[in-house]
Amino acid sequence: MTAPVTASGASSAGTAASRSARVDRSIARILRAGTLVSIGLLAVGVALLAIAGGSPLERTLPGLDPARIPADILALRPEGFLWLGLLATLATPLLRVAAAVVGFLGAGERRMAGLGVAVLIVIALAVVVAQRPAA
Amino acid sequence: MTVLLLLAGGGFGAGVFGSLLGLGGGILIVPLLTFGFGLDFRAAVGVSLVCVIVTSSAAAGVYLERHLANLRLGMLLEVFTASGALIGGLIAFLLPDRVLAGLFALLLVYTAVTMLRRRATSTGDASPSIENPDDAAGAAPAPGSFRAALAGPGYRPVRLGAGIGGSVFAGLVSALLGVGGGIVKVPLMHLVMRVPLKVATATSNLMIGVTASASAIVYLLRDGINPLVAGPTAVGVFAGAMVGSRVAQRIDVRLLRLLFVAVLALTAVQMTLRAIG
Repeated sequence: MTAPVTASGASSAGTAASRSARVDRSIARILRAGTLVSIGLLAVGVALLAIAGGSPLERTLPGLDPARIPADILALRPEGFLWLGLLATLATPLLRVAAAVVGFLGAGERRMAGLGVAVLIVIALAVVVAQRPAA
Repeated sequence: MTVLLLLAGGGFGAGVFGSLLGLGGGILIVPLLTFGFGLDFRAAVGVSLVCVIVTSSAAAGVYLERHLANLRLGMLLEVFTASGALIGGLIAFLLPDRVLAGLFALLLVYTAVTMLRRRATSTGDASPSIENPDDAAGAAPAPGSFRAALAGPGYRPVRLGAGIGGSVFAGLVSALLGVGGGIVKVPLMHLVMRVPLKVATATSNLMIGVTASASAIVYLLRDGINPLVAGPTAVGVFAGAMVGSRVAQRIDVRLLRLLFVAVLALTAVQMTLRAIG
């Protein structure tokens, strides 16, 4: 009677560990890809900045305007690549959290998925609050 | 062109030294940009946050693949580090530069003292004894419970309340001063929550990206990040961290650490002078 229970328990623990390892691996892939994309975009922006010449400390840019980024990139303006690189940099850890939420939901770990959702809510709050003018 | 190269070169140096000495780049990048390139303190913090996200994302992937980082513990604590970072990001725009410089000087002194003590004790990966984790935690958590889900091989985090409070503080420090906050999180997890040092380091690194993103969003949307400065610096830091991690095994960092402590002390003096005007 004991043996089947132990085997089942071991098998269940093994499955949980394997699921956990799978989540870790997929998140690691997202982080690596996100980092490469971010650094790639920033590097292209830096190269274009070098070609354009001048000191980056002396140039002024308008604030972030996502609607302008595609046009800037098509025109090979450095700021388009730099802004997109910055957005990709900031988005990479958030994609990691979103992937963890999906992974934990798939594994039936609702409390852990809930924590991930809580993190994303804090980030959403940051976006909303930051757009209000500073006192 | 020269300034561009200097920014990338400075970032490269910060990446190499940060990687060799086990520090995030922030503690080096903020002084580099304020004293070396004349940026105001808040602008330097904005750029530094971008750099620590890049290095964190690159390293966290490796830590996860090696199963060193505790994803569940990290996700619990980063709810609070991100909350602290959001609050810190908002406060940063209310505080004068001088106050922030003064706080940074304190951080530099704390980091220098921590590095000296680490050198003196030379504990290596001296994990707190976890033969009987119930000593600190009380009864063992029930299987399937939330606390049990946070456990790793051979350890179980304890004092979650203290960990949560400390995480809010780590997030505040990160957002105000442009650092990853590992200097708070690693001792918190290792000494207070009794997580093995390697796991604490890896988990802290994993959390840095989300923590810094919460405050970097505030900086970005309030025009606190200049992409023309952040771009070359971040690329340099990334390249430097890659080189540093490859040569770290071949370099005796003891002398380097002493030298670095001296640099931190000097920078602390300069930051203090900036703070007192």
